[in-house]
Amino acid sequence: MFTIALKDIRQYLKDRTAVLLSLLLPMVLITIFALMYGGIGKPKESRPISLLFTDQDNTELSKEVFTTLNDQDAMQLFPKSYNEATGLIKKGKNAAVLVLYKGFQDSVEAGKKVPMELFYDEAKEIEMGLLQQALWSNLFGITIKKGIKGKVNTWIKEKNPNLTNSELLDIQEQVETQFSDFEQSEDSGKMEKNSNLPMTALVGEEKNGNLGLVQAIAGMAIMMLLFSVASSGASLLKEKEDGTFRRLLVSPISPSSILYGKMLSTLFMAVLQLTVMFLYSWLALGLDIFINLPALILMILSAAIACTSFGIFMASICKSRKQVESLSTLIILVISALGGSMMPLIFMPEIMHKLAIVSVNYWAIEGFFDIFWRQLPLSEIYPKMLVLLGIGILLTTISVISFRRNLLKLV
Amino acid sequence: MLVAKNLSKSYKEINALNNVSLSIKEGELYGLLGPNGAGKTTTINILSSLLKPDSGEILYQGKSLYQNLTKSKKMIGVVPQEIALYEDLTAIENLKFWGTLYGIKGKELHSKTDELLELLGLSDRKNHKIKTYSGGMKRRINIAAALLHNPKIVFMDEPTVGIDPQSRNLIFEVIQELHSRGLTMIYTTHYMEEAERLCDRIGIIDEGNIIAEGSLEELKKSSKIKEEIHVKFTNTQKTDLSNINNHFNGQLLIQDNQMVLSTSHANTDLPNLIQMCTHADLHLENLEVRSLSLESIFLELTGKSLRD
Repeated sequence: MFTIALKDIRQYLKDRTAVLLSLLLPMVLITIFALMYGGIGKPKESRPISLLFTDQDNTELSKEVFTTLNDQDAMQLFPKSYNEATGLIKKGKNAAVLVLYKGFQDSVEAGKKVPMELFYDEAKEIEMGLLQQALWSNLFGITIKKGIKGKVNTWIKEKNPNLTNSELLDIQEQVETQFSDFEQSEDSGKMEKNSNLPMTALVGEEKNGNLGLVQAIAGMAIMMLLFSVASSGASLLKEKEDGTFRRLLVSPISPSSILYGKMLSTLFMAVLQLTVMFLYSWLALGLDIFINLPALILMILSAAIACTSFGIFMASICKSRKQVESLSTLIILVISALGGSMMPLIFMPEIMHKLAIVSVNYWAIEGFFDIFWRQLPLSEIYPKMLVLLGIGILLTTISVISFRRNLLKLV
Repeated sequence: MLVAKNLSKSYKEINALNNVSLSIKEGELYGLLGPNGAGKTTTINILSSLLKPDSGEILYQGKSLYQNLTKSKKMIGVVPQEIALYEDLTAIENLKFWGTLYGIKGKELHSKTDELLELLGLSDRKNHKIKTYSGGMKRRINIAAALLHNPKIVFMDEPTVGIDPQSRNLIFEVIQELHSRGLTMIYTTHYMEEAERLCDRIGIIDEGNIIAEGSLEELKKSSKIKEEIHVKFTNTQKTDLSNINNHFNGQLLIQDNQMVLSTSHANTDLPNLIQMCTHADLHLENLEVRSLSLESIFLELTGKSLRD
């Protein structure tokens, strides 16, 4: 078993280009995905969402709306004409335009339906979700305040038809002053303060890197590892195609030793690849891999065992390397998508969360999240390691049975 | 050394071997001669434990092959038909790997690899990767890999397929050297010259049956055919010669501008043959009467050419 494993490792290390590629490619992908998820750079900095703004009312109130919204950190407003703005959205350059139609201020003050509309690109769903949050609270803050004042004035006018214009103006000024005084009063400040919802991050408060970086490393490392082990597993079939397998079978070692030898060499390569990935993440991307080193080592080993068994499983159920290549690519892409390697599970519907548990990627990614993001102790992480080991044992058992059935028959 | 009794093996509806029995003496070089698909490789696969026969018994030095399989495997060396080596490893790395699998280590492994590389004339290339070797050199390393553990019996499955004459001769010399050292070998081939040149005894196998067995002389003696008349023409035949065989007692092979008549009555058949050729407007370029070859024996026994 060890002789076969050592021979395989020697063969692997001799192909320097292949070794370099097997290590470089995941590094490149981790970096790209970390950039995509915003995992590289200052963690709390986020780009403001741009919103186009078409002011057809051009009144004091519409200008106030522009200023208030533009003052928000989460938003940056760009004034555009209606045609220009809708054109930019249709071309995919911007996500949305807020249009305030003629009569905006009058309607607000009269407490009527407000003539305004938001036009958006449905493809930019995520951006729109964030925009809505920032937009509604501020926009309705302004319009409702104005609307209440208008309603009050209208009510006074209707209930007191005998009042002269100068008396009405005087009352309106009084209402305006009362609103204004209240906004500037301590009571208003207290109310605003009291109504603020205090928020505390229970997870990720003492962050190690950031969420995007952990997602990129955990997701990509496992997916790339699966591709690597699938090709290592295929070396078993290469032995068969090259005729060396027959020679191995006539030698005084058991057929199972051949399989275990292959597993051992694949495991070595898997551990090497994951170790290099995490060292790269530490040195180049700033992930503190020493935060829980024993847990990391055990998680690397568990993930490597589960992935290795997948590679051997593929080799044992397929009859040629071509079959391994196409079938494993398909399976890896599916389980990686399910398990959250390609896209974080938080963006997926509930059903996908349930399906994810069948994926090696899911358990490994969750394990790495436990270590780096949730910063849980080993006692909380080990169940995920056990699941990975369980997957490894199950796939290895099936592989041994299939191996005996398929390969020994075909010599 | 090796006794195989009534070996049978079938794949679905194809009978690859039918009650094949063999008895190989210690130090003997036994040739298994037959066309492609005759059952040579299946026989070797069964004798070397790679395949289990459907029925029959295999005894090595009086003990069943399967009684202690690991021990039996250590007695056996197999030179497969294909180059069963790792192309991206060097010759020495390949040999050390195969040697280690048989439990040879350290100095013993080192000296054995050196000895074999010397024997096969590849010492100066031992640190080169197999993929840089010529076909003949690969074949030689392929043989060396089967000899590292000092096997008692070696199966060579067509070890000279696809190589140049020079490498073939070198391999013949190695085999003769191993034979002279007393190594028992079973050699399969569909080249009759190889069997004639190398083997002490020859078994002729066709469609899973051993149809004749013995030394070359014994096979010749048992054959009704005694001589071969080889004729070469300067032109190809224009007339239909398909019925010409009816005029002779022996077997007639016609190919392009050559004709071989295997006969037991060369004295009477020769004048007839010349007369018929003249009648068919075939101009003789060369005519030779040779002693009987394995090819003719095979043709007589099976009715088909060895290379069919």
